[in-house]
Amino acid sequence: MPDDGAPQRWPEDFADGPGNRRALLVLMSLRGLTPRALLDVAERERTAEACLVAVRRGDAGSTADRAFARELDPSRIEAAVSVCGAKFVTAGSAEFPAQVENLKDPPAGLFVRGQPLPARYGTVAVVGARSCSDIGRELSRQIGHDLAAAGVCVVSGAARGIDAAAHEGALEAGGHTVAVLGCGIDQAYPPGSRGLITRVAERGTVVSEFPPGVPPEPFRFPARNRILATLGDALVVVEGAERSGSLISARHALEHGREVFAVPGAITNPLSHVPHTLIREGATLIRGVEDLLDDLKLNGEDGEPLPLNVTLAEQAALDAMTGSVLPEKVARELGVSVTDVLPLLLMLEMKGLVRSVGGRFEPTLRAKRRARQPATS
Amino acid sequence: MYGRVIGVTVVGVRGYPFVVEAHIGRGLPSLTLTGLPGAPVQDARDRIRPAVESSGLEWPLRRVVVNLSPANVRKDGPGLDLPIAMGVLAASAQVPGTALTRYAFVGELSLKGTLVSTPGVLSVAMAAARAGLEGVVVPAANGREAALVEDLRVVGAPSLGDAVGFLRGAWKPPRVEPGRPSEAPISHAVDFAEVRGQAQARRALEVAAAGGHNALLVGSPGAGKTMLARRLATILPALSREEALEVTQLHSVAGLLDGGLVAERPFRSPHHSVSIPGLLGGGSAYLRPGEVSLAHHGVLFLDELTEFRRDAIEGLRQPLEDGRVVVTRAAGSVEFPARFTLIAAANPCPCGYEGDPKHRCRCLPHRVEQYRQKLSGPLLDRIDIRLIVPRLSKQELLGESPSEPSAPIRDRVEEARTRQRRRYAGLGYPCNAQLPGPTARREARISAGAQDLLARAVDSLTLTGRGFDRAIKVARTIADLAGADEVSADHVAEALSYRMNVAEESLSRAG
Repeated sequence: MPDDGAPQRWPEDFADGPGNRRALLVLMSLRGLTPRALLDVAERERTAEACLVAVRRGDAGSTADRAFARELDPSRIEAAVSVCGAKFVTAGSAEFPAQVENLKDPPAGLFVRGQPLPARYGTVAVVGARSCSDIGRELSRQIGHDLAAAGVCVVSGAARGIDAAAHEGALEAGGHTVAVLGCGIDQAYPPGSRGLITRVAERGTVVSEFPPGVPPEPFRFPARNRILATLGDALVVVEGAERSGSLISARHALEHGREVFAVPGAITNPLSHVPHTLIREGATLIRGVEDLLDDLKLNGEDGEPLPLNVTLAEQAALDAMTGSVLPEKVARELGVSVTDVLPLLLMLEMKGLVRSVGGRFEPTLRAKRRARQPATS
Repeated sequence: MYGRVIGVTVVGVRGYPFVVEAHIGRGLPSLTLTGLPGAPVQDARDRIRPAVESSGLEWPLRRVVVNLSPANVRKDGPGLDLPIAMGVLAASAQVPGTALTRYAFVGELSLKGTLVSTPGVLSVAMAAARAGLEGVVVPAANGREAALVEDLRVVGAPSLGDAVGFLRGAWKPPRVEPGRPSEAPISHAVDFAEVRGQAQARRALEVAAAGGHNALLVGSPGAGKTMLARRLATILPALSREEALEVTQLHSVAGLLDGGLVAERPFRSPHHSVSIPGLLGGGSAYLRPGEVSLAHHGVLFLDELTEFRRDAIEGLRQPLEDGRVVVTRAAGSVEFPARFTLIAAANPCPCGYEGDPKHRCRCLPHRVEQYRQKLSGPLLDRIDIRLIVPRLSKQELLGESPSEPSAPIRDRVEEARTRQRRRYAGLGYPCNAQLPGPTARREARISAGAQDLLARAVDSLTLTGRGFDRAIKVARTIADLAGADEVSADHVAEALSYRMNVAEESLSRAG
């Protein structure tokens, strides 16, 4: 038995030939047989078909797996794979991403919809909280957009919040984006992301290690994260609360020598917990998408047209805003009444430079970028 | 052996005079009531004889028949004790019949013969005045209320014995002074000066008061939504005498009146467990006005709007639209006036902390969406001003200078209302909020710059058609507060900052 920490490879001919591929489809559908457990069996049995026989015999997997393995019909799984337009890529084959093979427990195969999976270099994962803040969502979208515009493939998990925004940004820029699912390749989870997943499959890639029909279950998401974190060369954490999946992803990335970037926040904000933890552990702090592009040596010229024609009064209101503030604070800074400030803030909101969050107002990233602009140019 | 007395029954808030006839004839001692008496009146039968006997009067030990005429109107309420007793006394010649035709009688009797405070006396007095009667005999406790009706002699009798004494000329009733509201300045228990911070919310409520707009306050627990809503009544314009009489009448019918005229705008905040009859009016035996009518000309505050029953919320549509509630029963329908300013409050999400910088929201995203869905719908269409009320930090609270007290705000509101009344004099709308959408668009006098801004807002803020109309009405009110004839772009911009489309916001977040 090998040491738990050592990476392990699948045997040479493990999934060679149609018989083995079909057997592997069944093995990967079993709930109790993790890649780790299957690897141990594969060490002994060498091929997928032999492993399946062992499971059916009861020499591996749980009793439920045994019964299930007898019932499962591999041709039906094959049919379902082709119905959803996916391809089954086995470890060791040319299409299988090499960067994932170095995991401690690499998947024996992956289901891929859409374009082929990207290479490690030029691919960046963006992860973060599902219930993120508005600013986090905006930043994630911008990161996704600018990375894709610079020709980088953006990997994320298709969850709501940061993940969805990163995908959307990349799609907007017309770039390549990869969604790694924590459920069967034909499932859409969360249901709200169904439309997004379809669009990613059309223009990018949707990937999962779970065969069709596998429901989303809590334990599948940490497993999904190990693939998400290692597909790319770097990982960006935008926001994450304590004990969240982002931390698991970042740990995988660090373990496998990927560069980890983290966006800081207020120390009182619970969503800053994961980025701050990672920064303490040596992740690179980024103050926005420019830092990330600089560090990844991707910074070309800035493409986004900036909205100008801001009136003097609006500019003054913008300058008076430090973080998230109440309208009366802005009014006090400017020495005018709240009645005068509310129209200014509304105009700024319509120009996309200010947003209202829970009754307070904060400048958007666009406004921050705008403020930097005159100094640099 | 026949007696005839005038009584008044109250249906809804209106009094209807009727005649009590009593006949004493041969037969075993008994009391029979005919002429459609309601259940509470049947109940009075057993109360009247002891009351008469305790007052040192004699109950005829013969067969007594009391008829309430006309027989097609159901007579209800406890106020019928006194006219029935008087009818029997008149039939047994214990009181002179001469004064009986000139007075209406109302009051509930105790077994000891004292007259107990009775609901609806103001409506009775008004009906008596309309019927051209000289006066009313009412329980002493209701005297000030009845005296609000001009040119009507009010006899506030402490007991049945005194009422009989008055008819016999043996007791001279003291003059009853009406509680006049103008004498004492209105002293509110609360004031806007007590609210620290929340400048935007204070301003929004000023606009709501000035234009009669309904408002929705969304905020975390402890943000001060209730505190703000309670103070809205203090900046509404003072009640006119007619309005005050209407309010007093409703409170009188509900049995909530304590003394004379209600001079302050009512503030009602029913708990979210309120039943539909409790909220809208009704009841099984005796139709009472509901909370919406008790809030007539005042503020109805619904805290935790999402916790109210769906059908109760739906039921609010009629009063919000027509300013009245019609309660229909098998016996007929009754109308209660109910024109109020609605202030609703809700948490931003089930746990209450969404958008709060300090607390983390622990709600699942789809639960937040479901919750927001509850907030949307037909009721929300009638709410012009929606506002997020942030929970303030200690620093934010300490940094604030004392707020403006209610009195100057009320002066501005009064002025804005006067402008609206003048403008809509020919149209018959009291304030901006009551205008239908097309009329608002036609009458608002929007400047070119403001038009332009509205057009842009439709795109960049995804303003809907109804949202557009709401923005125009609110902008018109803001212009009225500023004393401007024309609605400027700044007025529209401020109005747009009170929009917050709850349902649409949740949709944009899902992406």
